[in-house]
Amino acid sequence: MNKNAASRVVKHSLALRRGKSALRALPWELVLSLAVLGLLWQLASDAVANRILLPSPGLVLASLWQLLGSDLPADIAASLRHLAIGYFIGTSVGFVLALVAAASRLADALLDPLVELLRPISGIAWIPIAIAILGISEAVPIFLIAYVAVFPIFLNTLAGIRAVDRRLIAAAEVLGAGSAMIQVRVILPAALPMILAGVRLSLGVSWMTLIAAELIGADSGLGWRSFWYEQFFSTHNTMAIILTVGVLGYLLDSCVRLLQRSLTGWSRDLREAR
Amino acid sequence: MPRWVTRIAVLAGVILAWEMGVRLYGNPQRFPYPSAVATALVRDLGSGRLVVAVVQSLSRVLLAFFFAAATGIVVGVAIAVFRPLDRALSPIIDSLRSIAPIVWIPMAVLWFGITGRAAIFIVAYAAVFPIILNTSEAVRRLDRRLFDAALTLGAGPATLVVRVILRGAMPTIIVGARVAMGFAWASIIAAELAMGIKLGEGAQISIGLGQLMVNTLYVERDLNGLVGYMLTIGLIAILIDLVMRQFHRLALPAGAIP
Repeated sequence: MNKNAASRVVKHSLALRRGKSALRALPWELVLSLAVLGLLWQLASDAVANRILLPSPGLVLASLWQLLGSDLPADIAASLRHLAIGYFIGTSVGFVLALVAAASRLADALLDPLVELLRPISGIAWIPIAIAILGISEAVPIFLIAYVAVFPIFLNTLAGIRAVDRRLIAAAEVLGAGSAMIQVRVILPAALPMILAGVRLSLGVSWMTLIAAELIGADSGLGWRSFWYEQFFSTHNTMAIILTVGVLGYLLDSCVRLLQRSLTGWSRDLREAR
Repeated sequence: MPRWVTRIAVLAGVILAWEMGVRLYGNPQRFPYPSAVATALVRDLGSGRLVVAVVQSLSRVLLAFFFAAATGIVVGVAIAVFRPLDRALSPIIDSLRSIAPIVWIPMAVLWFGITGRAAIFIVAYAAVFPIILNTSEAVRRLDRRLFDAALTLGAGPATLVVRVILRGAMPTIIVGARVAMGFAWASIIAAELAMGIKLGEGAQISIGLGQLMVNTLYVERDLNGLVGYMLTIGLIAILIDLVMRQFHRLALPAGAIP
């Protein structure tokens, strides 16, 4: 009882101290460095004194605020839709192909050379032919994202399944598990850290490709919009789009990292990588 | 059966199926097919314009990579050595890193004009972050005793930086450089494509591989040529990776297992 209370007090004070130090450590550096960056930006834009060449940070933030009330939500929605559809297709195809390749030697022998042939050809290299066949439309970014998302998922899932400790499978077999149960309860959970690393890699590449594909070959989305504003010399709006792209890219990566941490926090590799 | 035999057999089968598919069921005017792709590649190699475009793009990549490596190594070493600088710069580096390089194209065109320099800016932007991150990580992981030993033996600051820090961190820096080169090669194509498509033919100063693709797409409407360029892009990506691997092997200390 006494011991319990004591440990509770210790825990409480630890939590307090941790909370306090988090408060002290985190925001100040961020605020300070962003303030310095903003100041440098302001000074540079004062020196250039041309709001088309280099709009001031205040102007960019103001246009970001103004765009949030007009075009920006639709552009963000369009980009996220391209990303979601393409990413869903790409990761599903990659995942299923990896399962097939892991299960059958024939499928592996067929898939391996194709993947090795296609993988060095970046998604961006497909843009002209995608435009030629699909026309300038949102089909171009969707196709490209599906293409680039396949490879990291495929390779990581396959490697993850192959690296599963044989003894885990043998133990499950001894305990009477059937093959379906081994697949779902043993192999997939053991391969999950690798699979999620593939999910994160895929998402990063997809985001970069999405913006490039929209800018070059689509008629909607953030990438397309950044050049659209440029054509009217409203550079402050272009800069607001660039900021949005950065923030969204950061948020997407944070979401996957959160997923990694909550689903596979037990994995030693992940803890070391952090 | 050795691995490469199956690989070649599978690829031959795919090429054959593709050729037959387009010839029997498809429309050879609208879809590219292997024999026409080969013809187009031979034609472009013979006329020399493919080689000229590849050399142009590669020289832009190398120049941008040089800027990125110089900046990235300096910044990486600096933030690894001075903790306060790391705390001040890391949030900025992280937020800049989240911005897809290609979205800077409108600004780059505004700042640098429609010459190759805008493309070089984009490529350097894409390449600098893997180098910064790998350099700072490598320097942080250097054995403290190396510094102590060098200082005891009377090394000055210059010797310390060149012979201890850079030499020790080099293998990991080159791993970052390998990633950076991969990004750089993809971004040069993106930047050249964007400039070619968004700004029209008249604006081109010197034609890189990306601009050549735009020409082939809109002026010549030659899909087989496009597929030939895609294969060229893939082949060069493989070659770049091989070269970077070789550098990595060279930078490892004697006796280390690569």
